[in-house]
Amino acid sequence: MRVVHYLNQFFGGLGGEENADLPPQTQIGAVGPGRLLEQLLGSGSQVVSTVICGDNYAAENLSAVASAVGDAVRDAQADLVIAGPCFQAGRYGTAAGEVCAAVQAQLGVPAVTAMALENPGVDLYREQVYIVDSGPDVSGMQETLATMARLGAKLVNKEPVGRPFDEGYLPQGLLRSEFVVQTAANRLAQMLLAKIKGEPFASEIPTQPAEPVPVPPALTDLSRATVAIVTDGGLVPTGNPDQIPRSFARVWGAYDFAQQETLPPEEYEVAHGGYDNRYVEEDPHRLVPVDVLRELVREGKVGKLHEEFLSTTGNGNPLENSRRMGREMAAKLKEAGVDAVILTST
Amino acid sequence: MPLTLAIHNTNSMEPGNRTELDGTSLRVDIEELRRYLLEDTRLNEVDLEIAGPGDSFRAGYVFDILEPRAKEPGSGPDFPGILGPMAAVGQGTTHVLQGAAVTVLDGGQPGGERGYVSRRGGMFKVLEMSGPASQATPYGSLNHLVVVPHADPGIERHAVLNALRLASVKASVYLARAALGQEPTDTRVLDLESLDLKTRGETGREGLPRVAYIGQVHGHQHGTEADEHIVYGSNTRGMLPVLLHPNEWMDGAVVISYSWGARGLETYFHQNHPIINELYRLHQAGELTFAGAIATVSSDLREELERNSMLAAQLAKWSLGADGVIVTKYAGGAPHSDMFETARLCEELGIKTAILVSDTAPDRRAESSALMSIPGVDALVNVSEGAEISWPAPSVQRVVAGNPEVAAELAALPELPAAILCGVTNNQGASRLQSIIY
Repeated sequence: MRVVHYLNQFFGGLGGEENADLPPQTQIGAVGPGRLLEQLLGSGSQVVSTVICGDNYAAENLSAVASAVGDAVRDAQADLVIAGPCFQAGRYGTAAGEVCAAVQAQLGVPAVTAMALENPGVDLYREQVYIVDSGPDVSGMQETLATMARLGAKLVNKEPVGRPFDEGYLPQGLLRSEFVVQTAANRLAQMLLAKIKGEPFASEIPTQPAEPVPVPPALTDLSRATVAIVTDGGLVPTGNPDQIPRSFARVWGAYDFAQQETLPPEEYEVAHGGYDNRYVEEDPHRLVPVDVLRELVREGKVGKLHEEFLSTTGNGNPLENSRRMGREMAAKLKEAGVDAVILTST
Repeated sequence: MPLTLAIHNTNSMEPGNRTELDGTSLRVDIEELRRYLLEDTRLNEVDLEIAGPGDSFRAGYVFDILEPRAKEPGSGPDFPGILGPMAAVGQGTTHVLQGAAVTVLDGGQPGGERGYVSRRGGMFKVLEMSGPASQATPYGSLNHLVVVPHADPGIERHAVLNALRLASVKASVYLARAALGQEPTDTRVLDLESLDLKTRGETGREGLPRVAYIGQVHGHQHGTEADEHIVYGSNTRGMLPVLLHPNEWMDGAVVISYSWGARGLETYFHQNHPIINELYRLHQAGELTFAGAIATVSSDLREELERNSMLAAQLAKWSLGADGVIVTKYAGGAPHSDMFETARLCEELGIKTAILVSDTAPDRRAESSALMSIPGVDALVNVSEGAEISWPAPSVQRVVAGNPEVAAELAALPELPAAILCGVTNNQGASRLQSIIY
């Protein structure tokens, strides 16, 4: 197995912070921790070359570093790239993540790096790259290199990679469905008993709370405000012009009702698989209350009704996708001078 | 309240001149059963098919799957509120044809709703008896009587569904009555002396944690029909959480609602409830005290969600004295909220919780798998809905369906995604398919 190793200036023996601006340089053979790596890879394997780069230079020139490593990989006809271990060093971790992601994507050469969970490179690259859990400091060097060598060999030989905890890498946050021996009922009872007894247990889904959404300041005068209606209940004009799916929607629509005093039931339908649609299809105002808002405008309680409603299907939506659609909707409404939104859900 | 299950192993099922259990072979007088089912004048015809493990057989769309069971005369009614008169179940003796199943297909509404494209989410489910897909589900190893009722086109959809439900329990009881008077292969006594208030505290179980089960038996984001049967025949509209003896739960007091394609719930797993069975097992092994079960429903109204969640937690705390509860939901996303709120309130009362979630992350990212996150509700078991799993569909000799369009569709299926196979995904604790974070 032919390996290219990536190190920062410190582990590459080129000095400390004072040399953090060094551009990448390639040395023949193993350097520093690469010598131990070579031993751990076993006979028949060698670290053909080592790319060393200063932390600052790397952080500011990620693609230049990645391309330097790419050149070394081509020259060495390497089968594998190992970057780090980087422990808690943030600039180093980010550069190592980028190097690994780039050689995998551009050259199809597998790559492994290692960091502490707290390293900012973890969140940036965990989905694309195997990041071995290095622990916080160099005391874990040997064990970490051994894990990297083992995992790297598996990738080169195209052997299946096991679960994060078993293989020693940090979870990539990707779900895979697998048949397991124990039923959900067995696992529930075991987890509950452990929890009652105060023993450690591992939830099968991360339970980190979502970021709280700050409550914006209240409107001072509704009678001067332009109000829009936004819904995730899936009301769409008949025929569903934007083809909004009944769940997992990645699109949303804006539907003008300026020419309508109220929403006629025969001109609307519901594209939402998560609730009994009959009542909204009978009277769309149950979801998009144009009728009441027009009354409030006539009474002077609301300044103006924005003459289109925005709609999508909210069920089963991944957070990232919901955030994107929310941002797009907010931008559109902001541009139209909308001051407030009534958000209806189902 | 001891319940004795008289278990009769049933290794084969075939048509016969009379319905009888001969050793472990069940013979079915198809014509007699057909006449019995057609006593329901809402049905014009009933097709009956038999399929066993390995048979080149596919059926759909599945309305429900049941285990054939019949009460010993004098032990109480069969499926009270649906088939039998209103009286408590969960005691006496129940005969069980273990290894057999009654699978009822929904042919939709002639000239109208096709059963599987419905306001309840448009899921459909298939029974597959051969090939690798059949080995991924517990139903692949059973002998099935497949019942295909054809309703009078003149009746309304809710009446069609009611007729399917009635046919399902009639066929189940009819088959199991063949075991009356026969020596069972095995008997299993389900008894919770811990639920007997008079002897509580004298049972030598001091120091064991008291664990209860709170399960949603329906999700009212999809309403119910006036004549829909779920708990003792009730449609559960306006239902408050109710204490059910675990024996009642498994002995015909609970059937699944019209989920139009059994969305990961089947009556079979109410009768063989994996969580109730597991708690019984651990109770008998002396690892915990099974404190009882609470049936509840999820709601589409905020106030009802809060009321039901509160009452379920109150029952667990003050009526069952639970130290811990397992909470499960009905299928779908909305019931998630009720489950989390119930668990949150339990934790607030000092009751530890573990809950069963099914991730639906379409992008297969762990971040998307947690529909909700509430501090303290931190023990989550995650069953996969199998979005990325499917098997090649073998071409099969027999395709049975509720109508010709579905038959054609099933015959031409290029593959069998996990999501459409009965028994692969399940919200009652039976699933072995887990979403694992890589």
